[in-house]
Amino acid sequence: MRRTHRLAAAAAALALTTLVAACAAGGGGTVGGGSVVKGQKIKGGTVTIAEVGASPNDIFPLLPATNSNGYNGTFTFGMWPWLVYSGDGAKSVPNPQESLYSSLKYSDGDKVITIVLKPWKWSDGVPITSRDFTFVYNMLKVEYNDWFDYVSGLFPVDVAKVETPNTHTVVLDLTRSYNPEFYTDNVLATIPLLPQHAWDKTSASGKVGNYDETKAGAKAVWNFLQGQGTKMGTFATNPLWKVVDGPWRLAAFQSSGYYAWVPNKNYSGPDKPVLNKVIWTPFTTDTSEMNTLRSGTSLDVASVPLNDIRQLPALKAEGYSVAQVPAPGVAEILPNFYAPVAGLLLRQLYIRQAMEYLINRKQIVQKAFAGYADPGNGPVPVLYGQQWDSPLEKAGGPYQYAPGKAIALLKAHGWKVVPGGTDTCVKPGTAPDECGAGITAGEPLTFQLLFASGTESFNEQNAAIQSSESLGGIKITLKSEPFNTLVSTTGTCNAQSHPASICNDWQIQQYGYNSYLMDPSGAGQFNTDANGNYGGYSTPEMDNLINATEYGSSDSAFFAYEDYAAKQLPLLWLPNESTVFVYKKNLAGVTPLNPFSGLYNPEVWYYTKSAS
Amino acid sequence: MQSDSAAVAGPLGIVPEGGEVTSRTGGRNLALDEFLHSKRAIGGCAVVLLLVLFCFVGPLIYRTNQTAVNLNLANLPPGNGHPLGTDEYGIDVLGRLMVGGQSSLELGFAVAIASTVIGALYGAISGMVGGVVDAFLMRIVDTLLAVPTFILLLIVASMFSLNLATIILLLTLLSWPYVCRLVRAQVLALRSREFVQASTAMGSTRTRILFRHMVPNTFNIFIVTATFAVADSIYALSALSFLGLGPPPPFADWGTMLTNGVNDLFDSYPWEVYPALIVLVITVLAFRQIGDALNDIASSRSSVR
Amino acid sequence: MTWYLVRRIGQSVAVIIGVMVLTFILVHLEPGSTARAVLGLKATPARVAIFNDTYGLNRPLPVQFWLYCTHVLHGNFGVSYAAGQPVSTLIAQRLPRDAVLIGISTVLALIIGIPVGLYQAIHHGTVRDDIVAGTWFTLYSAPDFMEALLLIAVFSVHFHVLQPSFTGGITSVGGLFADPNALILPVLVLSINSVAGFSQYMRSSAIEELGQEYIRTARAKGMAERLILTRHLLRNAVLPIITILGLSLPNIVAGAVIAEAIFNFPGMGLLFWQSALAHDFPVMLGATLIIGVATVAGNLAADIAYGVLDPRIRHAV
Repeated sequence: MRRTHRLAAAAAALALTTLVAACAAGGGGTVGGGSVVKGQKIKGGTVTIAEVGASPNDIFPLLPATNSNGYNGTFTFGMWPWLVYSGDGAKSVPNPQESLYSSLKYSDGDKVITIVLKPWKWSDGVPITSRDFTFVYNMLKVEYNDWFDYVSGLFPVDVAKVETPNTHTVVLDLTRSYNPEFYTDNVLATIPLLPQHAWDKTSASGKVGNYDETKAGAKAVWNFLQGQGTKMGTFATNPLWKVVDGPWRLAAFQSSGYYAWVPNKNYSGPDKPVLNKVIWTPFTTDTSEMNTLRSGTSLDVASVPLNDIRQLPALKAEGYSVAQVPAPGVAEILPNFYAPVAGLLLRQLYIRQAMEYLINRKQIVQKAFAGYADPGNGPVPVLYGQQWDSPLEKAGGPYQYAPGKAIALLKAHGWKVVPGGTDTCVKPGTAPDECGAGITAGEPLTFQLLFASGTESFNEQNAAIQSSESLGGIKITLKSEPFNTLVSTTGTCNAQSHPASICNDWQIQQYGYNSYLMDPSGAGQFNTDANGNYGGYSTPEMDNLINATEYGSSDSAFFAYEDYAAKQLPLLWLPNESTVFVYKKNLAGVTPLNPFSGLYNPEVWYYTKSAS
Repeated sequence: MQSDSAAVAGPLGIVPEGGEVTSRTGGRNLALDEFLHSKRAIGGCAVVLLLVLFCFVGPLIYRTNQTAVNLNLANLPPGNGHPLGTDEYGIDVLGRLMVGGQSSLELGFAVAIASTVIGALYGAISGMVGGVVDAFLMRIVDTLLAVPTFILLLIVASMFSLNLATIILLLTLLSWPYVCRLVRAQVLALRSREFVQASTAMGSTRTRILFRHMVPNTFNIFIVTATFAVADSIYALSALSFLGLGPPPPFADWGTMLTNGVNDLFDSYPWEVYPALIVLVITVLAFRQIGDALNDIASSRSSVR
Repeated sequence: MTWYLVRRIGQSVAVIIGVMVLTFILVHLEPGSTARAVLGLKATPARVAIFNDTYGLNRPLPVQFWLYCTHVLHGNFGVSYAAGQPVSTLIAQRLPRDAVLIGISTVLALIIGIPVGLYQAIHHGTVRDDIVAGTWFTLYSAPDFMEALLLIAVFSVHFHVLQPSFTGGITSVGGLFADPNALILPVLVLSINSVAGFSQYMRSSAIEELGQEYIRTARAKGMAERLILTRHLLRNAVLPIITILGLSLPNIVAGAVIAEAIFNFPGMGLLFWQSALAHDFPVMLGATLIIGVATVAGNLAADIAYGVLDPRIRHAV
């Protein structure tokens, strides 16, 4: 029961912390209805979606910094979509049809962005204008530190000036040049537009004004909206939240996480909902969700935890179809380059290479993840083979399972290799055939792998890694901790933080995966000062390659970065599990799923009169 | 005087407050005699003995590799050198039952002994000293009894990585108050009885009275509670594992084995669920039979006065 | 009686303070930073500072405890880290549901347990006694999550007759009954575990009473066995069960955590478990305190009831 709950929590927490919520639902794009349609389209109907561990608790789309609940993204996105709509079907590209902009132009050496908005309307009939953008900008400019999706140095801090030449044009004058692809995919795709004409007020009974135009006023509006955003009891009744621009509006909400969407009748976008109602019903544990699916009840769409994959045939017999979608992220074993002793070992590339050679990723995908996982060839997932995958990664990555190569590497660097036992350094020193800086004679090659408890597939994966690493004499001991404890005791360890006591207690760890937005950038993960660079990996070359992808404009920059990272092993790459889910056979339009906007796009779903 | 003293610790581990247990009136040999004549007690002991042999001697005869994980051998059905098949790690289930049983039994015995000793001493001392000290000490006990053991266990388990030793420690810390309440009640009752008052009059020290009179006279209570504690601790760990807060692999106990197989309850791999369930139920049942038989003896003796 | 009452109430207050101290210490054993546990790996120092400031976590522990106590006295249990809601709101929604669930299961367990215990007492020492005891003990010896899952396997998955979980938005206590089908299995699972305890107490108690003078007298007077059982034996033997009811509350609550997790029942047990996983301390503290108060109140009520019904007890404590 336990396992997936934790994983969901892990995924949700990590998703949001990387840059922005990976979870959100919304329009499905023109390529949305990919599943084979049999039978006639039925207008109306209700779909019930089951999710494990999902309980949103904040409706204001600009989440406060203290709220890490990833499900709030899924919850609000269908009502207030982002300026740039992430993902077109399963492709990691923006979906221009569903986006709020009609054109995005980068000029002045990619320092100025001209955004032209579509002539769409809010649900109360008022047009969406550039003023709605400045409303968001004005609040964030004052309160960015209290905005969960704020990434150090990026929007709104990197904006020198915002101009609105007319009601549907916004001109952003940035403080530096960016790679347009990066900025569109990973920055503009995190900003919603909000209804200034309805929300620009400082109390429930107060009048709407232009309060956001002063610093104090913006603060007051922000505080008011944030406060209203946490009042679960009034989510479905508060007049504020009735003004939406997405395909859905909220009809019911319970603090348990149960909620219902009904169509926004005035939705301006291309995909007007066909269904009458979408109900989201939360399950605390995968066991109770699976039991319910198996008992022939009314759940129409449900995620299936990996531990329950073996029940898929039975679910098919109950009238469900199965689909899977790869997670946009990278799973890893995180090395702590600043751990006492172990950090010295981990700084040696050849040791990281030997460790990666000894991870049987193919076997882990098949056995621990039942085939539903990305192989983890490098920093970018390859399962959906898209424009971001370099030929090296597509070919399996630089270090495929090869115990022989691992042993040869260790021997070549002065280690006495004892398969099944523990290797020891016999040639200390810094010459190419010696163990490396700081490693003393007789030093054993052993690490403690700390991982998040309660997830069965993690248990299996890490037990298998322990077993296969021992083939090369690398001794791994396992220690698991509850996910939240693991997080609470893991600090970012790097040159600035060192020496920090929080970096002494862990050597290598595995907790889940780091999620990507559309652009699987290494920025924030592997560059020296990155907030997500917990292990303290740092090389000038990596920094340069990442900067080239973030600020440069070369097309080849990304592959150069990707291959360098794949070979350098700032993290030990691991398979990353996919999301598997089932849906009723007579429900069409569900696939392909869009992992960049919360998987589900119920506005393109409909029932068919089929004989299935 | 209330006379339901018989029901020492029921299967729920409940301790009747204010319950008072009457002292033994005959020699301990009589109790032993009765014990030996109780079919339930003898049956229970025989089963426990068999389980101990199975878990601790079994691996010497039936040799399996319980450390090497091989996912290619995972989930094999019974047969082909694996009488009960293999689990999700590719480890032989029969061998795992033996090794897992070692943890379960060690846990049960350790908690039973430790919590009984602590509880008995605490209860005896508190009862002997009496007065304000007793009142204070008993409020500590009441506090621990007011929140369900399992809830306190969950709080700690949600924050720390547990292993067998820490689980034993935790369960001991949470279980002794039950024993303590009973022993104290017994001591209070004994304190007013002639032979204790006589020895006080004769100048015996408190320590002497404690060990000469109190401890032997409360012996039957803590034997009974200990047998229940064995069952309860094995059970608590399985519940903890079920909620995903048990120790990590390669640790094995029957509860962990059971919960790892739970997702296969409905189909797929029944050999990963039922063997562990059966031994678990047999073990718990055996200990409870022993405890219950002892309880009956204590009960019949106290009511015949 | 008055003095006894005053003393018992004083003791109860002391225990509740003890529970507050104990749980407060336990949650603050957290090895790392609470803010990081709640905010995730990428929490920046700025965010950690905001969080600590919002929830007063940067103050010294004794000050935090003092504030916690004074707030509790004013009915303020703090704000949930995870839900951003007042803990009292969360508890107020769930507590009545548990009262219903636990109430129904306990009544059912008594309805089954008392006659079973009586039956065993009457047939004390015979094979029938052993068979009945064996049955309940076997049921009791299987972990309750297994019982729950096996019942679900049979009644929900195989026969599709009973619902294995609560789904949909339950807004009120009445909502629980809107779908009575979903209540059957959780009630059954919780009852099974209490029956063994109740029936064994009933059995011992009835055996004692059977040996008493008044039963022998009644029999000697030729009173009908049926009347003896109902008028005398049942009435007297049921007394100890009252005490047991109060005392068994913690165990029922503990059982409810697992049952609620399996049946997706939106009650206190589930709330507690979720908050423990999320390190949502205010909710953990609030829920534990409520459970503690309920237990202490249950004991107190049982003692008073017992004292009223059986005056001998007053002197025994």
